[in-house]
Order: sequence, then C-alpha cells, then structure tokens
Amino acid sequence: MGALVYFTLRDLIHDRWRSLLTILSLAVVICGYLLLSSLSQAFTGAGRLAQGNNNLVILSAGVIDPMDSLLDDQVLPAARASSPDQILRAYPTLFRHMTIAGRLMQVRSVPLEEMPSSLGLILVQGSWPTGGQQIVVSEEIARAASWNTGSKVTIYGRDFEVTGLVRTSASNTGAIWMTYEQGQQLFGTRHGFQAGYLVLAPSADPKKVLASLQSDPRFSGSYSFYLENTISDSYHQLNHNLVTLSGIMAAVSLLAISFGIYNSTSLSLTERSHEISLLRVMGFTQGRLRTFLVVRTLLLTLSAYWLGWVVLAVCFTFLKSNAPLGSSEAPLRLTLTASASVLGLGLAAVFSFLGVWLVSGRIATRNLLDGSE
Amino acid sequence: MEAILPTETASQNLIEATGLKKVYKRGDEDVTALHKVDLSVAKGEFSVIIGPSGSGKSTLLHLLGGIDRPTRGQLRVNGVDLVSASDAALTRFRRDNIGFVFQFYNLLPSLNALDNVILPLLARGMGWKASRERGRAILEQVGLVQRQKHTPGQLSGGEQQRVAIARAMVLEPAVILADEPTGDLDSASAGSIVALMADLNQRLGVTFIVATHNLNLLKVAGRSYELVDGRLKQSDQPTPA
Repeated sequence: MGALVYFTLRDLIHDRWRSLLTILSLAVVICGYLLLSSLSQAFTGAGRLAQGNNNLVILSAGVIDPMDSLLDDQVLPAARASSPDQILRAYPTLFRHMTIAGRLMQVRSVPLEEMPSSLGLILVQGSWPTGGQQIVVSEEIARAASWNTGSKVTIYGRDFEVTGLVRTSASNTGAIWMTYEQGQQLFGTRHGFQAGYLVLAPSADPKKVLASLQSDPRFSGSYSFYLENTISDSYHQLNHNLVTLSGIMAAVSLLAISFGIYNSTSLSLTERSHEISLLRVMGFTQGRLRTFLVVRTLLLTLSAYWLGWVVLAVCFTFLKSNAPLGSSEAPLRLTLTASASVLGLGLAAVFSFLGVWLVSGRIATRNLLDGSE
Repeated sequence: MEAILPTETASQNLIEATGLKKVYKRGDEDVTALHKVDLSVAKGEFSVIIGPSGSGKSTLLHLLGGIDRPTRGQLRVNGVDLVSASDAALTRFRRDNIGFVFQFYNLLPSLNALDNVILPLLARGMGWKASRERGRAILEQVGLVQRQKHTPGQLSGGEQQRVAIARAMVLEPAVILADEPTGDLDSASAGSIVALMADLNQRLGVTFIVATHNLNLLKVAGRSYELVDGRLKQSDQPTPA
C-alpha cells in the first residue's frame, strides 16, 4: 500500500497543474455542500426555537403584522368574559420596531408576570426588571449589540439598564422586553395596544375557544383571533421545507463529484493511453491499475475536502464579522456538525469512487500494441 | 486426474513456435504479417532477428511476448500455451516470464530511474523495501546506480535504454524481447548497449531475442535469423557488420 501511495503521489506531483485544478474544482463543490449543510443546520436551529403554545392572539381585523394593529382596552375583558372557565388571563402587548444602537430591533412591552409564564422567556443571566428604567434582552440581541447585564441602552431618548438576558423559547425572534407600564410611558400610549394574548386553561380546547370567539357578533368584523401555534406552525413548516430542500441540494451537489472525477479520469486515460498500455504490457492487471486510479482519486478528494474545510472556515469568519445572516432579532447561526461533516466526507468518497470505477473499465479495452511502440 | 508432464521440446527449448501465422485486417483487406514461422529458442541463447522495416519482426516479438495472439499455429513459451491462454493468464505470463525493451525506451517520465526499474515488482506485489533493494542491485548491473534519482528527461538515450534493460531484467524473466534496442541511439551508445546485452547474456545467462537493423548485433548473436516478408529463415553464416 505504501508503494501504491508513493507512486500515486509521484504521479500527482508530476501532473501538478491538472491535479491542482481537479482539487480546486472538487473543493468548490465540497465547500458548497458544507455551506448548504451549515445553512440546513441554521434553519433547523431556528425551527427548534419556533415552538409556540396554546395561547390565542387578538389583532385588529385583517391585520397580519402586529405593528399595524390597534386594539381598545375593552376587548380583553370582553373576550375573557365570553369563556371565563377556559380563558385564565388576558393581557395587552405593545410592539415597536426601532433602530437602537444602529440596529433594527423589536421592543415588546408586556406585564412582567407574563414574561416567564405565558411567553416562556427563560432568564439565563441577571434578573427580571423590578421597576424603573429596566429591560431584559434576548441573547441574540445582546450578542449582536455587545450588551450584557448592566449595560446602558438609550431608547427613544431614555436610558434603560439591561438587568438580564433571556432565551426566547416560545418565540423565534429576539427582542427587548420591558414592562407594559414602562412601554406605555415610553411610547405615550395611555389607551390602546397592538395585540392581546388570551392564556387558556390547560384543559381548554383552543380550537373550540377560537371558534366561539370568531362566531361572537361583538368581535366579528372588528377583531381577528389566531391560535399562536398556527403562526409558529406555519413558520415551522416553512422552516422544515427549507431544511429538507437545503439537505437535498447539499447531497445532490456532491453528485457533481462523480461527473467531475469521471471527466478528469477519462481525459487522463485518453491522454496517457500509451502509459496505460505499457503498464499492461509489463503485467499490471486491470484490477491493480484500477486500484491505482481509485487511490489517486481518493487522495485528490481528501485534499479537496480539506481545502473545502479551509474555505468554509474563511466564509464563516467573514460572514460572522461582516455580513451576519438573518437579523439581530432572528439570526441564522451557521454551524457544521460532526455528523454532517463525516457524512459529506463519506458521500464525497463514495461519489469519487463511483466516478473512477465507471471510467476505469476502459483500462481493459486498451490496445496493448500501443504500449509496445 | 491425469498429470500434465512437460513435453520433450518444452523441457529443452524455452520457446517453441510451429506454423505461426498472423493476419491483420486493414479495412476489407487481409494483410499477412507472418507466414508459417517455426522457431525454437533454448534457455540462455542470444538470438537476433534481422530484416527490413515491415518484415514482421515486431509482430513476431508481440506474439512471443503474449501481447498479441497468432491467427494460426502453435506457440509455447516457458511451458505456457499462449494460443489458448486467457487474457488474464497472458497478463500473468508477461509479468512472470517476459522482459520488454523498446526502441524508444518507454520509461515513465514522472518516475526516476529506480522507480521505473521497480515498476514490474509493483505489478507482482513485492514489498516496498525489498523492491527498492532489488532495483538498486539491477541498476548496479547496468552501471547506473549513481543515476538512480534522475528522471528520464535527465538521462541520455543510452542511459535511458540501460534503465529500460534493467527494468526488463528486474523480475529475472525467462526471456528478454528487445525490439530495435539501438534504433534510437548514436553509434557509440548503440555499441555500449550491444556490449551490455552480450555481457548480461554471458555473465548471467539471460536469454535475449533481439529484433534489429543493427548488424553489429550479429557479432554477439549465438543464433541469427532473417525475416523477410513474414517468412523466417535461420542464417547459418551471420553477416558481420
């Protein structure tokens, strides 16, 4: 085996420019696979965060973006009164999209007690606001803006202190969270809010409650009700589709290796017909020459995989520092798992083997007389 | 099961060819390259076949070396029936029994002299260290051990042919078939190659069959033949150069 690798390396070095071009072209394909795998992982990660709950959401009729919604203060008590056994609580939410520290961010104002309970925020560092000009921020936002607990943040000309970092397990987007009272003061809204949340009892049937509210004449035409899960489920489905699609694209991209290897090996066999025939004259069997070609191809593929890794690392570094994917609210974190990497290496090796195996059958058709001239 | 015993001729002669005929197709036309050639070569002989271009010398060597098959006739080399042997058996036969030397050396340009010499050992699957030791020993025999690291492009024509002869000898084949081994060399280098082959034949008992235009080879030939228009006849009185 050592002799085989030695002679293969001598051959690759002798034909160095073609070897380099082959490695580069394979590396481009492999880097494409690695990037698509990373993207697939990022979508999977984002989808994992998009797990909703059984709450109902109220918005103005016909409005999709909560920013465009405006509800009056009477709607929440009325909605809760329609099914008091099944709706445990109802609370308002203020939404704003604002540019803070040079980044577009979402600011949400909700009652403090609802942050961990119905919204499922998990405090990962610091403490919840206790009053005054205090906020908590999601990890994504903190990372993007380089904030930490104790940081001072100016919003609408007022200084707020970051008291804690939260993980947004019930929502796919990052945000700045403040109490509803602080939001009202900051935005000057005594009455009215963008969205209402109805927290259902564990025993309640969300679809029945939804149907009951939608058929109530007091609300129809003025308000729209949604299952919070419906929004997150549709997001989750979209995400799942993207994961599936990028996974298929990644695998298919590696199939190009077979064609590339077939093509380059075919060219080599044609150009070096005399050498192949000479080796056959000397007594090299078809199997031994095929083994040589397979080892040669696997060395090229391994080199290309290594190069693809290096290019990927450069891409990751560039994207992280210059052009982060997603937004500060919903960043896409590119990561390459060990399993995806090993799978890619395995597939690349299999597709390389396939390409060289198919073309190496031509060794048997060499005219031996070519090698004796 | 009936034992297969070597025939009397097989035990005496390394090569036994009877009524060899080779016909090529050229378009719709049949071209007869060899007509009923009979040839016997004993182990250790130095045989020279002379003849003009197109007389069939190379074709005869191809048949003797198992590179091509006769259209008709019988051919046994070192006990192997080359007429009925499968392609795989012919590959093994060439590897184990034949060393080839070509007019244009046919060295691999990507490999140095030593690596070219040990290629046949790789075909047989010999270990790395042992094959390199063997390769150096053979290069020593042809006087080129000091040039073992040089690639063909760094060697003269005569040196390249010496490497080719070393490559042909490395597996101690039953016979070395040389097709115009001095055809691409100047007279000094050609004389050196002739002397080398004669020395290897006399000192080590290597069997040579050489097809050539070079009449100087007749001086060292133990037996010489003339091939004209595909017909072989033994020259009783070799013609000195």
